[in-house]
Parts: sequence; structure tokens; C-alpha cells
Amino acid sequence: MPGSIVQTKLYVPRRRGATVPRPRLSDKLSDGIDARLTLVSAPAGFGKTTLVAAWLASVPPPERLTAWLSLDQSDNDPRAFWGYVISALQAVAPAVGAGSLALVEAAQTPTQVILGALLNELNALPNDLVLVLDDYHVIDDRQVHEGMAFVIDRLPAHVRLVIASRSDPPLPLARLRARGELVEIRAADLRFTLEEAAAYFGDVMALDLAAGELAMLAGRTEGWIAALQLAALSMQGRGNAAEFIKGFAGDDRYIVDYLVEEVLQRQPEQVREFLLQTSILNRLTGPLCDAVTELDGGRAMLETLDRANLFLVALDDRRQWYRYHHLFADVLRAHLRDQRPDQMLELHRRASAWYERNAERPEAIRHALAAKDFAHAADLVELEWPALRSSKQEVTLRGWLDALPDEMIRCRPILSNAYAGVLFSRGELEGVDQRLRDAERWLEWTERADAQAAGMVVVDEDEFRTLPGAVAVHRAGYALARGDLVATVNHAHRALEIASEDDYLTRGGATAFIGLVAWASGDLETAYRSYAEGMAGVQRAGHISGTVGTVITLADIRVAQGRMHEATRMYEQALQFASKQGGAVMYGTADMYVGLSELQRERNELDAATESLRRSQELGEHSGFSQNRYRWRVAMARIREARGDLDGALDLLGEAQPLFMIDFSPNVRPIAALRARLLVRQGRIEDALMWAREHGLSVEDDLSYVHEYEHITLARMLLASGSRVEAAGLLDRLLQAAEHGGRTGSVIEILVLQALAYQTRGDTRAALVPLERALALGEPEGFVRVFVDEGRSMAPLLQAAAKAGIAAGYVHRLLTAFGAAEGEPPDRQNSMKVEPLSERELDVLRLLATDLDGPEIASQLMVSLNTMRTHTKSVYSKLGVNNRRAAVRRAEELELLSRIRTR
Amino acid sequence: MQTNEGGGGGVGVGENYEIRLKGHLNARWADWFDGLTLTQESDGTTVLSGSVIDQAALHGLLAKVRDLGLPLIAVRRRKDQ
Repeated sequence: MPGSIVQTKLYVPRRRGATVPRPRLSDKLSDGIDARLTLVSAPAGFGKTTLVAAWLASVPPPERLTAWLSLDQSDNDPRAFWGYVISALQAVAPAVGAGSLALVEAAQTPTQVILGALLNELNALPNDLVLVLDDYHVIDDRQVHEGMAFVIDRLPAHVRLVIASRSDPPLPLARLRARGELVEIRAADLRFTLEEAAAYFGDVMALDLAAGELAMLAGRTEGWIAALQLAALSMQGRGNAAEFIKGFAGDDRYIVDYLVEEVLQRQPEQVREFLLQTSILNRLTGPLCDAVTELDGGRAMLETLDRANLFLVALDDRRQWYRYHHLFADVLRAHLRDQRPDQMLELHRRASAWYERNAERPEAIRHALAAKDFAHAADLVELEWPALRSSKQEVTLRGWLDALPDEMIRCRPILSNAYAGVLFSRGELEGVDQRLRDAERWLEWTERADAQAAGMVVVDEDEFRTLPGAVAVHRAGYALARGDLVATVNHAHRALEIASEDDYLTRGGATAFIGLVAWASGDLETAYRSYAEGMAGVQRAGHISGTVGTVITLADIRVAQGRMHEATRMYEQALQFASKQGGAVMYGTADMYVGLSELQRERNELDAATESLRRSQELGEHSGFSQNRYRWRVAMARIREARGDLDGALDLLGEAQPLFMIDFSPNVRPIAALRARLLVRQGRIEDALMWAREHGLSVEDDLSYVHEYEHITLARMLLASGSRVEAAGLLDRLLQAAEHGGRTGSVIEILVLQALAYQTRGDTRAALVPLERALALGEPEGFVRVFVDEGRSMAPLLQAAAKAGIAAGYVHRLLTAFGAAEGEPPDRQNSMKVEPLSERELDVLRLLATDLDGPEIASQLMVSLNTMRTHTKSVYSKLGVNNRRAAVRRAEELELLSRIRTR
Repeated sequence: MQTNEGGGGGVGVGENYEIRLKGHLNARWADWFDGLTLTQESDGTTVLSGSVIDQAALHGLLAKVRDLGLPLIAVRRRKDQ
């Protein structure tokens, strides 16, 4: 954000010279100390700003910190608005904005997340704080209003919001009023009383008026301060005040109009010209005024006007920047428009040129548009586009583009592409294609000179060089949004072909899209690599992408590959990183806890999984992607399932269904399939059958990653309904596809089902073959539920595996998850039970706890090495371990060694 | 105060509106108010009248009235003769 402009917006106005003390109003403001919101709502010229500024000065820092933000039309972009609000707060409380400001700049951060972070930062402040938003009536953006309502609702007790506006803002005022949390100062309060008017004319303006004259003035103006000020200015140095007042009081004309005319007439020509010409400016400074008037002495003139109290408001302490009182400026502008409409356009042009020379492009654009200098404005917008793109100020850009005539945009390939990007990011897909085509047709010209002869306009050469790639990336995204994966890949590859080596943005974006397509196609390793590489490139280009969002996507891919430990590490690292961000809740933190809970659930750490979900919920909905509400419920449903509460799980799935959001990740576990899976487990085969029919699923389907889960669920249904042959055939094909795609989690699940299929036929021996493979794959990554979720039918199979010496320790752990180590009912959750060790086995155990090696132990026990090994194996099996160190540790846990010693 | 109900008016044709304000407004302000006709009434009010393209434009005009601090008395949509 341009430095000078920001400072003037944050400047707390200071009144110079005398003012009329208004204790009744100051008291009203001070008394409302518990009010969240103070609203000063009155038309222009009622002294709102003056009152608030004076009141603030009465309680100086550090006892109470004051942040000020003067709003204008361009703050109607939520990003700009909140960026300025946070900057204003940060200027007086440096701790604020530590995290939230970064979120403002990050891509795709929903406003509520930014505000959540901001509220946390405000909560942490030790001081009292007042934030003043002046001229709030300029805001008409719905999102900004919604964000304001959100913040007001959650404002900490030591923070107070003051809004000054010409009309009541669309915020929940009635509710606040009813709760006594609103202090209002309205026009009726702000009107000068007769006493105050007397004080003003007598003490401040040094005008000696008779009581009758005063009464007439007060009556005519109805206490309207602006009018009183203008009247006072009109009367200064005038011989016959009485005559003026009589003429004024008897006139019906719009007061301000009348009075400003009076004041203007009494100024020297030079001053009048200056006022009229500079009235087009939102802010005034010496050199800018000189550029507009094409004269010298602007700075001196401003100082003169300031001293004469001619409606200049200082915007900084050094008196470099000013603005006119709004009413005064409005009247001046109306005069200017009426008298010299052409000159008005020319003045805007001069102002635009000055701003351009002084590197304040947004203001230059505003003035160029006002000057109807559309070609030049379009050039400036094109040059400003990269800055807007990285700060994601889409609303601002959209406003400018909409203000330009369409031909101006269509002949500029860069703007056409920019427009496509804006539409795309706001989900308005209809116009995207046309805008991209507008850009593409210019790129088709082989000779630059010919294109320019045909009307193409390019101003930003650097952008133009990267344009073909940028358009290709937009095409890729557009194709992905329409579900055309093939086209997405084609466009992405084309972008990579044509983009230069250092065009990180284009290359990164294209690579990321390739990753997303690979994901949807089930090529998970490519998906991971490409997406990670792509996002790294985008970040390098200076776009602070949602790092957390990237982590979640990559972790999801790893989980699909069955790489649970790695996914867990990614979440834990990211959560650690997020917790270091100075109290701000980072976007997506809630999602990471949900992801973590799913991994914990698989490892059968159900309490930990529940705790993770609780922490996710605690963070609030605003700290997660919009998809998180859905994911949370699905994760909780699966935990309920693990605890045996299948009806509860189904209920939650029902809640989750309407919350599903379409995003760019492939929907690999459709909720209908999740539901069907539970139905099968409940034995409701008919219902499951209905699901399969409704979704047109059959064993003859071509297999694809996106439908894998559905097909596995179909296989379950077939097994449960006795169609073993069909199920077996489908499972074979699914296994092949999953292995081919490196989807270990799916492979394990399919193998388990294959084992169960044999088991139900009574062929335990055959069942052990796929089961052994499943166990071998599952053990290193700690899979538990994929086995245990299969219920009672799994337990005897696992016991058989243990007896056959397959992965004894692991199997034992799985069995204890059932509680079935001693043949107990499988759905009992209890702590580990150990089969008692024989005397001999205890002897071996005792010696295992020493430094002796195998042969030495055998000789101690006076048995053969083989016998010792058999004993050792049995000990391990009973303790549920598979190595010596673990056996000793377990023995210590169970206090077996001490028992030995006390014998 | 009568105002047009329902969604935005059609673009291009517009509706005829009358906006009544307290105080006399000089004819010079016509341009400020997007070319509406200003009529100073004998009761000390001013009526802005003319074609307003749609609801958004109407609210824009009302905001301008607000910004000048002119008390708003009535807004009326006129059925075309």
C-alpha cells in the first residue's frame, strides 16, 4: 500500500484553534464505557469528526490507545478494508497484525479467518483500545458489513469501536441497543444549542452579535454546525452583520449553497480559483495543487486557507496533506461542474498525471477515469495488475475494469486475461471463456507490428512476455473447474512449454494443476510431487499461498498412498509451525486436526482422535476451509463406528451431507458410499443394494481411482449378501488397480476382504495368504482399524494367523483391540491381557533381561539353542512383541521381572 | 414514502421518479443529480424529477441527497402518462 496515503488515512485529526466545549456530548461518550459500539450518525457537517477527535484527546495513551481510520470509496474491497483496519491498529499496538496482516495477503483466506486472527490479537492486548472508523457511510460492500458484524459480536471488553457515519450502517444496531451495548450520538445531539452557538460566534469567531441576530442564525441553520461556520466566515470583516443575517434568514435557498457562494464571493480571485480547481482532489498537498492549477505557491495557499479556517482538514502533523470538509468540497465541485465542465475533465487529467509521476497509481487511475481518459486509465490498470494480483484485491480491479469501456479491455490482451482471472476467482465462469479468447486472438498474430496495426495495445512488456503462459494456466484452471481433466493437463503442459525458466508463477501454477489432475486419476506419486513442486514455485513468485492448504492436500495424497507416518509427521510439523504464529489462528489449522484425528483413528488411538476433533472444533469454524465442517463430521462418524455406535455414525453422515463443498480435490469417498458401508455392517443389505442400484454400480464397471471406494463398498455388499464369486472377481481387479496406483491403504483393505471371503467359505488356509500380505503391509505404518473394523469375523482369522506365527506381535496387538486375546467377545475394549508364561518361559525372560547372548542363555538353562528359541518365540508371542528389548520392556511393565526376583 | 417494490428495474428504459427535498436547490445542481429536473416549489421544497435508470441509480441519488445534508421528504415513482 502506498506509504503516504496510508499515513493520511490513519492520522488522528487534531483541532487547531479554539473550539466550543461540549461537555454534555463528551460525557455521553465517556459514560458509555461498556458499550461495544459507539455510533455517531448524522449528516455531513454536523461536527462528528471534531467531536470524536476532541473526546479521544481527553484520555491520552498509554492509558487508552486510539486507532483511527478515515475511510473512502476505495476501501470497499474487503482486503483493502481489513488491511487498513489492521494497519491502523498496528500503528498504536504493534502486537496486532503480527499474524492477521499476513493472512490478509495470503491467497484464498476467507475473511472470517483473518478476523479470527485479529480478534485473538486484540484479546491479547493489555491496554484499553478505541478504534475509530470515520466516514463509514462510504462502505456499501456487503462482505465488509458482514465482517464488521462478525467483529462487533466478538469484540473483547477492553476494545471499543466508534463509527462515524452520515447514515446508520447496516449493522445489528437494534440488538446492540436492546442489550445496552450501543452509545448513539445523533443529529439532534450534535446540533448547536443557542448557548453553544453563542459561544461559537462570541468566543471562537470573535463576532459580536445581538441576541436577536443570534436567534435568527440559530433558527435558520437549526444548529447545523457547517452552516454556522460558513455564516461566521461570511460575516467576518463584514460591516453590517445584521443585514447579512436578515437576508440569510429570509432566504429559502439550500443553506450550504447560499453560504458557500457568499464565502467564495468574498475571497480574492486567486483564492476562489484555487478552491474551485482543487475541489476535484480527495487529498491536497502543495505540489499536487500546483500541478492541477498550473501555478506555483500551492503550499503557501494551503497554509493560508488553513489559518483562515477555510474548511481544510489537516491529515498529518507536518501539514503536508489536507482535505476539504466534504460539504464544502461537494458544493465547490457542483459549482465547477456547472460553470466549467470541460475544465473539470482537464483538471482530473492533470491530477492523474501528477499521481502517476509520484508512483501512486491507484489514485492516478481514479482521476483518469474521472477525466474520462479511458485509454490512459486502461494503460494504468494494466500496469497495476501485477500488484493487485499478488495482493488479491479483486474487488478493486473489478471496479476499475467495469468502469472502462469494453473496447478498451478487448484490445488489451493483458487486461482481457486479468478480467478472466477476476471472473474465475469469483466463480463467475460464464464470462471467462470469452475474455480468454479475447486475449488469445491477439497472441495468434505472428508479427507484433501487424497486431498493433490491427489495434492491439500492450503497455506492460514484462507481463506480455509471460502472457501466453498465464493464459494457458487460466485455461487449465477453467478446464479443471468444468471437470475436463484431459484439457487441464493439455493446457498445463502447454504452459510449461512456453513459459520461461524464471516465470515461477506460470510454471508453478501449471505444475500444481498437473498434480491435481494426477490425483483425480489416481496417479498419486505424480500428484504429490507435482503439487508440491507447483506450490513451491507459486510461493517463490511472491504469492504467499496458503501453506497450510498445501500441507492438507499433500497429506491427503500420502494417506491415500498408505503412508500414514509421513502424513502424521506433516500434520504435526505444520501444527507446530501454526502454533508459533504469535497467537493468530492460522487458516486451515482446524482441518489439520481433523486430518490428524483420522490417522489416530486408524491406529486405534480413539481417545487421541476424539481429542484432536475436539481441538479442531474449539478453534471454531472460521479457522478451517469451508470443507472442514463436512470433514469433521465424517471423521467423527468413523470414530463412532469404531466405538460400535453405528447409528450414531449414520446420523453424523446425515448431518455432513448438505455441508459438502466442491473443491479441487477429487471426491474419492462419496458420502453415499460411506453410508452404504455402514449399512452393510449393520446387515441392512437391501438398503445397501438400493444404493448400488441408484448409483449404477456393477462388477462390470471400468475401475478408476475416483470410484475405488465405491467399488470396494460394492464388494463388501456382495460378500455380505453371499455373492462370493462376483465379489472375488471384483476384488481381484480392484487389487490390481490399487497396486498399480501405489494405494497401499486400499491394497490392505482389499486383501483383508479377500481373506474374509475365504474365511466365510471355511478355507482358513487360503485366507491366510492375503491376510499375511495385508499384515506385512500394515505393520510398518501402524494400521489397526482396517483390520478391526471388520468386526467379529476377523478375530478367529487373526488368531489363526498368530498360531501360524505370522506377524505374531502385530496380530496380538490387533487382537487386543478386540479384547479377544483370550477368546473374549471382540467388541470389548480393555487393556492388554497376557497369557501366563510357563516356568521355563519365565526363566528365559529373566535371562533375556541380562547381557547374555542366545547361546549363553541356552547353556545357562541347560537346553539346546533350538529349544531356547522356541521358548523365546512363545514368550514374545504371549507378550505381544517381536524383539528382545521390547520383551524386556513389556515384562517390566507387567512387573514380571520383579515377580521373578521375589521368588 | 412510496418507493418501487420488487427487484431492480429494467436497464435502459428506467422509471420516472420524484424526490422531494426541504430547501430550495439552485438549478446548477441538476448536473450533480445526473441531469434530473429541479423545480423549486412555493412551500420551500425542491423536487428532483426525471428518469432514473434502475434501483441502484436511485439509491445513488439518495446518497447524494444525504451527502449534501438536505432533509429528504418524499420519494415517489410516477406512472408514465
